Amino acid sequence: MAQVNISFQDIDQAGKMIKLIGFEGQLDETNVDSEAKKIYQVITEMAEPNILLDFAGLEYMNSKSIGYLTDWYSQVTAKNGKIVIARPRANILDILKVVGITQIIDTLENLDEAKAAFSGAAPSEATPAPAAETPVAAASQQAPVNQAPTTPPTA
Amino acid sequence: MEGTTTPTAPTAETIVHSDANHPAEHSVLSKSNSANSTEKPVKISVILPTNAYFMSGIRDFTMTVVQNMTGFSEQWAFRFQSVVDELTNNAIEFGSAPGQDIKVTFVSQKGKYIEVFVEDTGTGPNKKTAKELATYVEEHKNADPTTITSIRGRGLAQIVAAWTDSLEFKENEKGGITVHVIKNLDEGEAL
Repeated sequence: MAQVNISFQDIDQAGKMIKLIGFEGQLDETNVDSEAKKIYQVITEMAEPNILLDFAGLEYMNSKSIGYLTDWYSQVTAKNGKIVIARPRANILDILKVVGITQIIDTLENLDEAKAAFSGAAPSEATPAPAAETPVAAASQQAPVNQAPTTPPTA
Repeated sequence: MEGTTTPTAPTAETIVHSDANHPAEHSVLSKSNSANSTEKPVKISVILPTNAYFMSGIRDFTMTVVQNMTGFSEQWAFRFQSVVDELTNNAIEFGSAPGQDIKVTFVSQKGKYIEVFVEDTGTGPNKKTAKELATYVEEHKNADPTTITSIRGRGLAQIVAAWTDSLEFKENEKGGITVHVIKNLDEGEAL
């Protein structure tokens, strides 16, 4: 059975309160339904949810966990909030790209840049992770990860 | 899906049901160290109970298989982890009833291709025909991913279809579905 630890931290980014949510481990069919509830609770409790998902420790995510990610995005943007992904490993970035998530959610390799994305300034270009076993910190010479965020997807 | 060539691997029926005509079962360890590992297709089958508890184990096994007996890069090892995970999960969730098994078979000729077969027994709660599954993939594989708002529906048509050269569905002798994928090792995808 897959194991994942999710941590929560409130951070102040230029006067804006952000919930930093860190993932360590794997999200798959065995645990994603129960773990997703924790994120929904955060979204529910915040009047204007600003959520930074730190994927540095996330080793695996399946298609259903990506489905939850898009649903969180929809709920957050519906409340005029913002959701940003930081530091995905190469394999996580790869799957986020193939399903188009990086086209709708800012995905940044640097945690400080990801925090700055909540300040209103357009984030500088992000880069993908260099390897699956390490976070993306060392990748600085590669192509941009994300495109400009768009409006929420419609059915 | 990528690539256009088709490997000269045996047909699904031969691979799955006629072990006597296929190269003998080999352990990953012995094949990875074998001088002949680049010459003949290698086949490994794993039978799993219909329980998602074992999914992380099959992902680890997939990583080992791809890295040791296919010649694919690490990126493709991770991609095939996802492909196998999605196919296996579908078989567990929809194809085979609790208490039954699913069978995952890897066939690879190192440096050339990898094939995966995932068989269910057709006893699951939401049985679909091979034709229905093929139609579903055909209708959804080119969908704009940013327009998909449902939690489900990305595994087969978005992930598996994108990371394989061939994806087909066949009714099997158990009354279930065998999903068969092929990925050729193309330029730039090797270790």
